[in-house]
Amino acid sequence: MIAPPPALEMRGIRKAFPGVVALDGVDLSLNAGEVHMLLGENGAGKSTLMKILSGAYVKDAGEILIDGARVEINGPRDALARGIRVIYQELNLVPQLSAAENIFLGALPARALGIVDRPALRDRASRLLADLGLTIDPRVRVDRLGLAQRQMVEIAKALAPPDEGTPAARVLVMDEPTSALTSREVEQLFALIARLAARGVAIVYITHRMDEVFRVGQRVTVLRDGRRVASQPLGEVTVSELVRLMANRDLTDHYPKVRAARGPELLRVEHVSRAGALTDVSLTLHAGEVLGIAGLLGAGRTELARVIAGADACDEGRVIVAGAAVKFRRPSDAIARGIGLLPEDRKAEGLVAGLTVARNIALPHGRRLSRFGFLSSRREDALARPIGEELRIKATPTQPVRLLSGGNQQKVVLGKWLAGDVRVFVFDEPTRGVDVGSKVEIYNLMNRLTARGAAIVMISSELPELLGMSDRILVMHRGRIRAELDAADATEERVLSAALGLSSASADAAGREAEG
Amino acid sequence: MNRARRFGTVIGLIVLCAILWILTPYFLTVSNLLNVAEQTSINAIVAVGMTFVILSGGIDLSVGSIVALAGVTLGIALRDGQPLALALTAASAAGVVCGLVNGLLVSQGGLPPFIVTLGTMSIARGAALLVTEGRPISGFAPSFRVLATGRVGFVPAPVIATAVVYLAAHVALTRTTFGRYVYAIGGNEEATRLSGVAVRFHKTMIYGVSGLMSAIAAVILTARLNSAQPIAGMMYELDAIAATVIGGTSLMGGDGTLGGTLVGALIMGVLRNGLNLLGVSSFLQQIVIGAVIVVAVLLDTVLKRDGGRRFQGRQ
Repeated sequence: MIAPPPALEMRGIRKAFPGVVALDGVDLSLNAGEVHMLLGENGAGKSTLMKILSGAYVKDAGEILIDGARVEINGPRDALARGIRVIYQELNLVPQLSAAENIFLGALPARALGIVDRPALRDRASRLLADLGLTIDPRVRVDRLGLAQRQMVEIAKALAPPDEGTPAARVLVMDEPTSALTSREVEQLFALIARLAARGVAIVYITHRMDEVFRVGQRVTVLRDGRRVASQPLGEVTVSELVRLMANRDLTDHYPKVRAARGPELLRVEHVSRAGALTDVSLTLHAGEVLGIAGLLGAGRTELARVIAGADACDEGRVIVAGAAVKFRRPSDAIARGIGLLPEDRKAEGLVAGLTVARNIALPHGRRLSRFGFLSSRREDALARPIGEELRIKATPTQPVRLLSGGNQQKVVLGKWLAGDVRVFVFDEPTRGVDVGSKVEIYNLMNRLTARGAAIVMISSELPELLGMSDRILVMHRGRIRAELDAADATEERVLSAALGLSSASADAAGREAEG
Repeated sequence: MNRARRFGTVIGLIVLCAILWILTPYFLTVSNLLNVAEQTSINAIVAVGMTFVILSGGIDLSVGSIVALAGVTLGIALRDGQPLALALTAASAAGVVCGLVNGLLVSQGGLPPFIVTLGTMSIARGAALLVTEGRPISGFAPSFRVLATGRVGFVPAPVIATAVVYLAAHVALTRTTFGRYVYAIGGNEEATRLSGVAVRFHKTMIYGVSGLMSAIAAVILTARLNSAQPIAGMMYELDAIAATVIGGTSLMGGDGTLGGTLVGALIMGVLRNGLNLLGVSSFLQQIVIGAVIVVAVLLDTVLKRDGGRRFQGRQ
């Protein structure tokens, strides 16, 4: 008996952009019902490959076969017509419309005069959602839904036939689908993925999280610098092998923590409250220290970071910097006191995408760099160049940051604070969406900063990273500090149970909730 | 802005000039070209302020009314026998104050620029009509009118003024912290605020600059017409927005150049002049100019889309 042809086969895909070959003869093959993990550092070519599959880019060379038949994909319509669906990291829903309306946005059932047939719409949506094992009310507005539920709606939308003639989903691509989810939500998503695979949908799953690779996938393809470096069943590889394949360098120690001498107190937060976000939060931070902040999504970690960095005001309590009480009205007040914020969402809050690397790095230092208001590009470049070299930003100072990969963009945001007199660094998810190599460079930078006598507040949803890089860990739960743990006796279980608001160590039952 | 785009506008201007030269040889004479430059100067100067505002992600609909208000302020001062320097200062102050009020309402009040400047458009126009009782103020001393009629060598004074304004504004936009913040605020206001930039202050100033530009344009206009009219500057906001957008500045903010705006203003000026030379009726002119604006922005969008596809980052 001959085995059926793969559901999707991409052969020798090549794509060049001006000055760079993004994909150089990449092959990818996946069978019906398979969950295929696609790995690679930022810039390895994963997104380009998927954009070619979805018709967003047109390939320069190579061929694509669906169920053994050669197809031409010259635009998103072609991809849809071949049963290819892509769910991007940023969700594409209309928040003001209901779940049902979003799911069938392209093909709303209509009666005469174009009036939407609401009962039919609700019926179809309910049937589809039930079919997928989802318990979402199709009538509820999407902006009322949590992130995970929105993601489910997005998946339902991808699987819904966009119109009469279009076939059902054959190939589903998911780009880092869990990046915003809590672990309970992740479980729901994985269960849904398993159901889809059981029906014969071929799934390409892009992620940076190694544990997910082994939990959901059957096979893995690793890309590096636009080439395929491996493609094999997951049973035959280990985490460290995969990491080595991606990075092409042995990362024996993911967390190269170097403990610095503990110096004087640099920052103290006393009884800070902010309505709906923070309740009576106190902490101290000493020179040479990395203070990790753990907690679930919505526990108040980002809100705390923003208060410390002057981005938001607090209703009660006070912040004391180097012994003096301060009142921050705006970020510049905090910066003047030597506090720099690496925000959670680098695209929305960290970078001006159209400006160059040098101008982004120089942005907080305009006053210092200028003479009588005049600012020369030369001085901006002179400031940015050594920082770019120290952080190994793979770009020239005159490139717009828009063109950089995620890891390099994050380094630019970090670079903004290396130029000034910042002594307290507030890092909110410093390694989110960052490739393995850049992660290690960020950890090394943290070590250098603490060695110089700076202090770091690090918020992270990755527990191993938090445990690996912190000296002390504060665990937040519903706007309060629930526990303070010394790195020496912090374990995943203890952090988890505090993050979940549990008093004792019944944490294993809760799984990996704090990953959210 | 990519290179193809920048050349595109200049090539458009050259092609337009070539066509007009073929159709009417008089077009390419020195005296006509100076005439075009002089006629373009007022819109070009107003468009400088508009470019600052649009680059920062805003819009200023009040420029035309501010031209009128600054103009009648100037006219009243001169009629009352005030010295020229004082009259010019009063006109500038009128423009800057209107602009700063716009800026404060946008930055401190958090109101949408479209609404704020729509309100100011009506208020400034009403104020100009009120103080003049709707009547123009005419007949100024030659010492003032020289601002429009004078020449340096063979170059008309308004053209010199425009050149000086563009040079100064270009330096401000590209070589000063203020200019850098204009782009940064338009590109990502929150990231700029978190970088410690005084975003509100700079936004206020940006609208102030726009007000000042309207006042400068008002001086030239008043001198040219030898009359300060409360109904002056009608639809100037649309011409200035058109020049800015034809010049490649993105209405989303953060992307564009003053050079582009100057070319955009020249395209509009050349087109008007050419259509006049060809004897095209003023009704038809409006249709042609409207079509050119749409086509220019359409070309721009297409070019940007292709450029964007080629230059987009990869992952």
